[in-house]
Amino acid sequence: MRGTSFIFGPIKAEEAAAPAVAAAAEFPPAEIEEFKESFGLFDRVGDSQVGYNQVADIMSALGMNPTNKAVVAILGNPSADDMANKRVTFEAFLPMLKQVDEMPKGTYDDYVEGLRVFDKEGNGTVMGAELRIVLSTLGEKMSEVEIDSLMTGQEDENGSVHYENPTSLGLRSTRHMG
Amino acid sequence: MGCGTSVATETQGKIVEPDDTAKTPCPALTMKAAVLIQRWYRRYMARLEMRRRYTWNIFQSIEYAGEQDQLQLSSFFSFMLDNFTQLNENGPDLISQLLDPVVDPWLGRETGYNLIPVPESYSGPRLSFPLSVSDTNSLLGAFKEQQTLHARYVLQLLYETKKLLKQMPNITHLSTSYTNEITICGDLHGRLDDLLLIFYKNGLPSAETPYVFNGDFVDRGKKSVEVVILLLVYLLLYPDYMHLNRGNHEDHIMNLRYGFTREVMQKYKTHGREILQLFQDVFSLLPIATVIDGKILIVHGGISDQTDLDFLSSIERHKVKSALRFPRRSLEKLDIDQSQRQMKRGRSTASSRPSSSCSHSKNQRTPNQRKRRCGQRRQDMPFLDSLSSVAPPLPLQHDLEWKQIVDILWSDPKTQEGCSPNIFRGGGCYFGPDVTQRLLTRHGLQLLIRSHECKQEGYELCHGGKVITIFSASNYYEEGSNRGAYIKVGRELVPRFYQYQVSHTTRKLTLTQRVRVAEGSALKALKEKLFSHRSELLSGLQQYDHKNTGNVSVSDWAQVFESVLRLDLPWRTLRPHLARLAPDGSVEYKSCFEDMESGIPLPQVTPNMAETLFRYRTDIEIIFNIIDKDHSGLISIEEFRHTWHLFSAHLGVDIDDRAVDDLARKNKDQQLNEKMDGDKYS
Repeated sequence: MRGTSFIFGPIKAEEAAAPAVAAAAEFPPAEIEEFKESFGLFDRVGDSQVGYNQVADIMSALGMNPTNKAVVAILGNPSADDMANKRVTFEAFLPMLKQVDEMPKGTYDDYVEGLRVFDKEGNGTVMGAELRIVLSTLGEKMSEVEIDSLMTGQEDENGSVHYENPTSLGLRSTRHMG
Repeated sequence: MGCGTSVATETQGKIVEPDDTAKTPCPALTMKAAVLIQRWYRRYMARLEMRRRYTWNIFQSIEYAGEQDQLQLSSFFSFMLDNFTQLNENGPDLISQLLDPVVDPWLGRETGYNLIPVPESYSGPRLSFPLSVSDTNSLLGAFKEQQTLHARYVLQLLYETKKLLKQMPNITHLSTSYTNEITICGDLHGRLDDLLLIFYKNGLPSAETPYVFNGDFVDRGKKSVEVVILLLVYLLLYPDYMHLNRGNHEDHIMNLRYGFTREVMQKYKTHGREILQLFQDVFSLLPIATVIDGKILIVHGGISDQTDLDFLSSIERHKVKSALRFPRRSLEKLDIDQSQRQMKRGRSTASSRPSSSCSHSKNQRTPNQRKRRCGQRRQDMPFLDSLSSVAPPLPLQHDLEWKQIVDILWSDPKTQEGCSPNIFRGGGCYFGPDVTQRLLTRHGLQLLIRSHECKQEGYELCHGGKVITIFSASNYYEEGSNRGAYIKVGRELVPRFYQYQVSHTTRKLTLTQRVRVAEGSALKALKEKLFSHRSELLSGLQQYDHKNTGNVSVSDWAQVFESVLRLDLPWRTLRPHLARLAPDGSVEYKSCFEDMESGIPLPQVTPNMAETLFRYRTDIEIIFNIIDKDHSGLISIEEFRHTWHLFSAHLGVDIDDRAVDDLARKNKDQQLNEKMDGDKYS
């Protein structure tokens, strides 16, 4: 996990600055209602709660972009057992969401910048094969199934992905929420 | 945004030689980029998952709301029978034939299939009884080639099946000591492809491969006839290795609404009605439960806190022809006039509201329905008429039997403890883990396997693993909506799950595409609902918009939609698909109905009537199908007017006589023909 702590390095400086600013206003009520709806969608059991292991996904679905590490920290560093079994109510979830909301968010441009790192020739393409290796070995490693679903149909006949294409990797649509 | 710029400056800070970096990014940067991409991917997948879930919710809530409406249709039929006047001089109507069978199946129905000639030109399978493997194989081949089995053989098959089923007990008891693993399949709903896939993956029914099919073989899918024929021939061929449980769709009234009746009448124009009559008998003769090794109970829907397997074993199951034909009680005859008067009073206050659901419309239910509620000793809903003060009558034997069977066929499990009436479906109960535990303990069982509900993975466990739902129709709501599954269980009685998904497209759709297709289809269905209730929605919305600005807040908008449509959906999340926002963040509610104008080109029809017609188009279609005996697409104006009046009287809708006549005269042929064709509305 040395890599991730490095990534958090520069951001931490910003986080230290954040509390100095007046605590960000609460979410507007209409937005809270919307969060509540989405929260409810992920409740498969019917007890108006969701599992610890779903929290990161729900936050992502709501437009935040927390790393797994950040979520685990916010949940209070639960054990693997807790992650699998413990559940959280919406009332407990909302402040967690606020915390994540106050963390610096990534934008679509950051994502493009991230891909540009692999653009060896600087021509708007990256090698699909290289991307696959990177995504499966570095950072919060993705499984083969996940990588496949991301990459299917994205590589051209040379195995390159045109990441600057608006529809590349299907991720453009997540630029705006809702 | 903070992160973005910090990354960019970070990058620039680290780069010494721009061209060097282009060739070999430093490891830290690579790592950072990877994490960024992964986070974005995760966010994308999470949003996709959310879309998938609300799509699922839309499909399911509309499906169950439809089944609730079913109660209304059947109560209409009861109403029609009670007020029946012959619409046609030529003998008993199909309605009464279908709804009030005169002949006791035990006496046997003379089908005269022997007299039906099979022309030389018929190239389909010619079955010979008793059946052999070559018959079943030729049927499999024929159905794969889209052939239809000749009516004569269908009738003979049904006749033979009836004879066999009469000898079977209500509950089938199986043992794993004589057989290999037993395969248990759930709802098929006329999906021939899924059945063939199961046979392909798992093997055809035989001594080595025994099967239990847990109900709902017909309705909704387009090949119900083929599916049920295949199941019945294997039943006849291997009565010891092929077992069928009755489902809630093995019911002639459900079939009227959900497609099986139509499919039979379309495929068998001359003998369709005889065939349907025999299916009615066969369905009511199907066993209602299967038990494996005295340990695993298999029923289609579920159980209630009153389920008693010993009692169930003893009753005459064939007497419960349909869950939707409520048992007639001696009391009802006395109260009919009084309750009808009360119904009329109730209706006048509720204008065009459909009497399809929940507490608001209790006063519009027919005497039969209200009696049923009384008999259940569950007065959860307030009653708005004086009948509630009548002491519930002592439950008759017949009613107890009816309730036990309906509970088995219609109930759903729930997470909370207890047992409550299943208002969602309009029949059966919601049963909690305590109810399950009590039943299992009482009968020395360890597992309940049921079907009845579509599950995304084809199966789902609940009640601490004591209840398994198994569903075998993949892509049930839409291409890619769900997998199908079956269970195999051997001597150790540990279930193993096998999943599959039938795919009609040669190129596999990506997850995104599948979700998008399903979502589109769900939204379309939802918009149809919106249209059907447009007047009510608009008047509800206008109550929040006193200044008539055309805008309401998102909360109010969601509130109105939820209460009018009675669909428990995430309205705020769906809002972007349904309505536009004004610059100030409020909802321009008229935008919900913008693209709905086309389709009703009948200028003389009032909006109210158009909506009503659209809302009940399926029911109307069924009724027309029944009246139009020769399927010519034409019925007499008299019949049309009469039926329409009955229907609208039942609904409590005020329809101008003149409007009905205009409707009939000007558009009769076109309208009816298009109704015959399906959903196109003219």
